[in-house]
Amino acid sequence: MSVNGINAPDPDDPLAIAEYTPGGQTALVDAERWPTLSPEGARRLETLRSHPDAPAWVHATGDRLSAEAVRRVRRPLPTAGWIDEHLDTARRLPAYRRRAAELRSLQDFPLITRDDLVDDVSAFVPLDADLARAVHGSSSGSTGRALLIPDDIEDTARTFHLMIALAAEQGVVWEPDHTRLALAHVVKQRQAFTYASVISSFDQATMARLNLDRRGWRSPDARTRFLVDQNPQAFSGSPTSLAELLDAELVAALRPLAIFSGAMALSSALRHDLERAYGCPVIDIYGLHETRPIASRADDGPFVVLDRRVHVEIVDERGRPAPPGAHGEIVVTAGENSLLPLVRYRTGDFGRLVDVGGRLAIADLEGREATTFLAADGSRVPCVDLTQHLQAAGAHGWSVIQDATGRVEATIVRGDSAQVTAALEALLGRTVEVQQRPSLSDLGDGKPRRYVSRA
Amino acid sequence: MADRMEPDIESAEQLLQRWLDCGDDVDAAWQRAVPGPPVDVVGSRLSSIPKSFLDDRVSLLALAGDVLGADRGRTPASTEVVQLLSDVTETRSSAARRGAAIALWLWASEDLLGAFAPRLETAHAARTLAALALRLAAVVDPSEWISDAERRDEAARTFLLWSGALPAGEDRETARSLLDMRDSLQRNGALAAAAAEHAHRLEVTRALNDARAREAAARYTHE
Repeated sequence: MSVNGINAPDPDDPLAIAEYTPGGQTALVDAERWPTLSPEGARRLETLRSHPDAPAWVHATGDRLSAEAVRRVRRPLPTAGWIDEHLDTARRLPAYRRRAAELRSLQDFPLITRDDLVDDVSAFVPLDADLARAVHGSSSGSTGRALLIPDDIEDTARTFHLMIALAAEQGVVWEPDHTRLALAHVVKQRQAFTYASVISSFDQATMARLNLDRRGWRSPDARTRFLVDQNPQAFSGSPTSLAELLDAELVAALRPLAIFSGAMALSSALRHDLERAYGCPVIDIYGLHETRPIASRADDGPFVVLDRRVHVEIVDERGRPAPPGAHGEIVVTAGENSLLPLVRYRTGDFGRLVDVGGRLAIADLEGREATTFLAADGSRVPCVDLTQHLQAAGAHGWSVIQDATGRVEATIVRGDSAQVTAALEALLGRTVEVQQRPSLSDLGDGKPRRYVSRA
Repeated sequence: MADRMEPDIESAEQLLQRWLDCGDDVDAAWQRAVPGPPVDVVGSRLSSIPKSFLDDRVSLLALAGDVLGADRGRTPASTEVVQLLSDVTETRSSAARRGAAIALWLWASEDLLGAFAPRLETAHAARTLAALALRLAAVVDPSEWISDAERRDEAARTFLLWSGALPAGEDRETARSLLDMRDSLQRNGALAAAAAEHAHRLEVTRALNDARAREAAARYTHE
């Protein structure tokens, strides 16, 4: 296999993070990554991995689906009566054992937060969960402390078919085309997991997770040549990474059927630029790793709640149900990941519920700001690069603020402030003042606005 | 016979939690076990415990100092034993105190009534004390270990297991099956649930940290 090390992290690089060492997190062989992999699929995969312009593949991972699972994930889970079944499951979770009798309806369940999962995620995993389906899922999340959750391989794979369905709602016919990459899942950050894969449930078409940061490629031209040659049928990524697609050479050559944005707020301007550049729908998906996709929109209107096992409510500042149409915190009951059936999970995001054509939707969604910082050399550094180092230094929460002159102040809760100072100064090429606080409450109420840049 | 005292569920869960926090692996304990003395002999010794051992006013640490003296090679200065007995005392649970005292009596009886044959391994006295004081006493008051034949058998078998011994004449599978049949913890719904949750927590943690899980699965969107 080709977890090639053409751009292996430099041992002298003060910003290198060990887990991004090429091949450092691999444990399986291809037959385990794709149990149904056919000779044709294997050939396509090898061609992708060994492409002369391919980036350094930092990681190798597959979908792990058996033949039966491949069939299952192509269809959405049934939603009729799901919430009653979901609450029955939840009452048997260790988290609720002592009070199960009081939890008669959804509203009887207490609100839970990310910290509840960080403290003891196993309390929210069913005792009879099939842990053979569990893989390592982590999320940087809202308060900073990294959260480790069990991802369900079938739920993860089913997300791809949700994307096909969302594209179909926009009139896009997206079928396997073995002359093209089915999907380029793109990021743009200093260090990232990148991999080549095949989608077992999509006729073993290829997909790749790519880091559009130019440091991950043999040369700037290699990135363009690779993308042009692969001509992905679809792109998914955060707005920061999708903005890279506005490169004139890429616009001239690529013909995506759809573009999917996630993780952070997609500005109206970027949406329109992408739509104009590629003439395809740009679908913004709202979700959290913990809850999985919740709602989506293909225009600048409200996010329509997906027709899947997800229930959305809005609560006020005291956690009480908000009046219809009122603005408040988004609370989600999520039943797609059978290994983590969540009830009334506080997202830390805000919005209000409205009706769009008879479907529930979230308007005025706030909480996913896409922030970049101005480095001394004039480049913009995406906040995810800061997140990686703040977490590596053990910070549980933080606020990083850059004023209009470029000056940066960071406040961290716990963690190694000297390590944070060194990493942030190396990333931004400028002095960073770091202060330490004892508790998350010192960062303010609710979801801390972790990153602000006025520069 | 001491008055029967049912542990209340809250204090029982606290005791059990301390036992679970010790992290002792029952599968490993069974694997370690080698032929030991007859369970009836241990049970008989147990029922002959002097009242002074069961007196809550007697300090466990002082008792342990007398029983586990350096001359027997079971120094009570052992950090593990002292820590365990301090934890038991801190619970302020009479059941836990008497559970530990019964273990101490069984060791003391070797001097007073004759050594068990074969002699018991005592290198892990803290583990044995914890099994009786925190696990078994959480669910059955030690007074029942003395008054009730089946509970006495359970206590004697528990003592033997965590001392690294199989009852004489029983192989590992038989001994495990007989103790499982008598296991009071499994018959107590709430405590069994607490124990199951603990095992679940370990299993989830183990599953997620497994190298195969850490490789993760290909993802298609950025959430």
